[in-house]
Amino acid sequence: MYSQINEPQQRLAKDFIKVTIINDTIENIVWYIILGVLFYLDHMLEWKEWIGWVLISIAIISVIASIWSFISPFLVYKNWRYDVSEEFVQLKSGAIREDHHLIPMTKIQAVSTVQGPLLKKYGLCTISIKTIGTSHTIPALPKEAAVELRNQIAAFAKIKEVE
Amino acid sequence: MNDIKRYHPLIIVFELWKLVRNSAFFALFLFVLKYNSEAAFVRYGRIAFIVILGFSIVHIFIKWFTHKYKLDDTSFHIYKGIFTKSKQTIPFINVQNVNRHTSLFHRIFKVTSLRLATGMEGSDATIEFTVISPTEADNIERRMCVPILDEAKTTQPSEGEKGVSPSGVQPEMQHADRTAPHRMIHFKPTKKDVLKASFTSLSFLILIPLLGSLYTKVDEIFNVEKEAEGLLSTILSSWWLVTNVVIGLIVISVSIGIIRTFLKYGEYEISSDTNRIYIKKGVVDSTSFSISKQKVQAIEITQSTMKRMLGLVEVKLISAGGTNDEEDKQEINTLYPFLPVTRAYKLISEILPSYEVTEEMTRLPQKSLWVRMLKPSWFWLISTGALYYFKPKLLGWEHTWWVLSIVLFVCVYVSRLFDFFHTRFTLNHNYIQIKTGALTTSLFVSRRDKVIEVKVTRNLLQQRLGLASIETVQQAKPVCRTTINDVPIEMARAFYTWYLGRTNEINVK
Repeated sequence: MYSQINEPQQRLAKDFIKVTIINDTIENIVWYIILGVLFYLDHMLEWKEWIGWVLISIAIISVIASIWSFISPFLVYKNWRYDVSEEFVQLKSGAIREDHHLIPMTKIQAVSTVQGPLLKKYGLCTISIKTIGTSHTIPALPKEAAVELRNQIAAFAKIKEVE
Repeated sequence: MNDIKRYHPLIIVFELWKLVRNSAFFALFLFVLKYNSEAAFVRYGRIAFIVILGFSIVHIFIKWFTHKYKLDDTSFHIYKGIFTKSKQTIPFINVQNVNRHTSLFHRIFKVTSLRLATGMEGSDATIEFTVISPTEADNIERRMCVPILDEAKTTQPSEGEKGVSPSGVQPEMQHADRTAPHRMIHFKPTKKDVLKASFTSLSFLILIPLLGSLYTKVDEIFNVEKEAEGLLSTILSSWWLVTNVVIGLIVISVSIGIIRTFLKYGEYEISSDTNRIYIKKGVVDSTSFSISKQKVQAIEITQSTMKRMLGLVEVKLISAGGTNDEEDKQEINTLYPFLPVTRAYKLISEILPSYEVTEEMTRLPQKSLWVRMLKPSWFWLISTGALYYFKPKLLGWEHTWWVLSIVLFVCVYVSRLFDFFHTRFTLNHNYIQIKTGALTTSLFVSRRDKVIEVKVTRNLLQQRLGLASIETVQQAKPVCRTTINDVPIEMARAFYTWYLGRTNEINVK
């Protein structure tokens, strides 16, 4: 993919895997509780037969999804790369489907760091970059690095093109 | 000149007329259809209707007294609000395009309406004058040019991204422009063009559903079917009568089609001066559109199967200030939709000299055909599943479902094949041309400096075969993404490097 330009090199924070798995586990637990309640109600109130089938298929899909949610963070971490130069932000991600983004600094409208409670515990930040019509996120960077990157992008993006 | 102004007083009449039009249905329902009704909802409905109507009328008047606007040398100032006052300032430079619509109402009072679209998000994105005198509209539209002129001039020395016309010639022309804008008319459809257009758009077919619905309506009232049985059999028995009726119907429908097309596309006019492009259309309900040449984000040339057979194309100018409004979806950003191919290319080079359209484009390699053929068609899988489950019977024929499934399968793969053969691309030094589409093809031409982002993706199969999909993002509303699938990886690399080269041609401030 990169014959004439440098491939992006920067990686996410290693703790990304841990945070994502904890997050997914919490979400999974909540989801299975809801699903359990639905199954219970279905059993007690004798809902129509097709509802039972729908619930079973949802349950099967959920199990597959939760198994996947324990594998995917490793793949995401392994394949995520980003880089920021004076003129462009480069993003690369995806194992099965490789995505490469090239965003000119002059087109960036806003950049922000976001930190949820879990990310905060591990001292991580998510950066979100907005252009005129699209938005991108770099998940889980160490806080100092994230703030520095944010300021860096903000400084570069201050320059605007004459239309 | 720079005073705070009220909107045109006829706005009151216009708004009242709109109010009457919108409330007519409720009025009819509450006071005529339910005339004798004593039901509670009708009684309270009437009270509510009158109260709301009263408030609306008062609101229209107060709005006229409180809403004002001001123009200065660089921007618009809009004052509005009855209790909460707000003031909005919009620099002229943010206006992406200007739209003027003259409906029958406007024509009667010799006024017009004006919409200035900005590229902003939200409900304040367009500045709208529902009624405005033509002189004031001209005045406003003229101002839109001025700041762009200035800017073009200041950026001229620094080897600009613009290159509106070959530099060196431009400054003098701009000076001339300031005093008397020199407009050049590029295209006006001839009678032949309108005729061709009316056949292409198949608008003469409109008579068929029209007659059908008319027949059922008449039938409901008079029970024609029984009464006419005698008449029908007499008509059918004499072949010359049948031919006459058929010919008569054809003549009527063709002439209706031509009249419709004439009313819509007859008075088309595409013109331009050094800075702006102007498109005018419509005979009774006329609309005009103007856009600064620098604000054209991309050009899209589309061609349906019918148009391909007749050698016609439709050329669209992509602008960042699209309107989300249903009311204004008049496709006015289209240069004439039935342009002969060669004429269209000539027209583009005439009005947008900074764009180049070449007909030399690269085809996709053989292996991308395989990727397309191997990709599962979710549409076909799901519809076959549904067909298998429901097993619908068309005219009592029980094999319908699998025949339909096969037909769908063939359609899907034939369209993929067409898409493969139609897909082409070209990277010119600072242009990209992408052509895609199965039945209706679209050729997308954009300049490198107008592309706001690029993306390259590769799925597992593409990685194995050395292919990639590329995507450009244009500023429009909503954002306009153009994708081309399964190009060779070398092309994707070239595309990435090509985009990196944009830094050399943009001006920053």
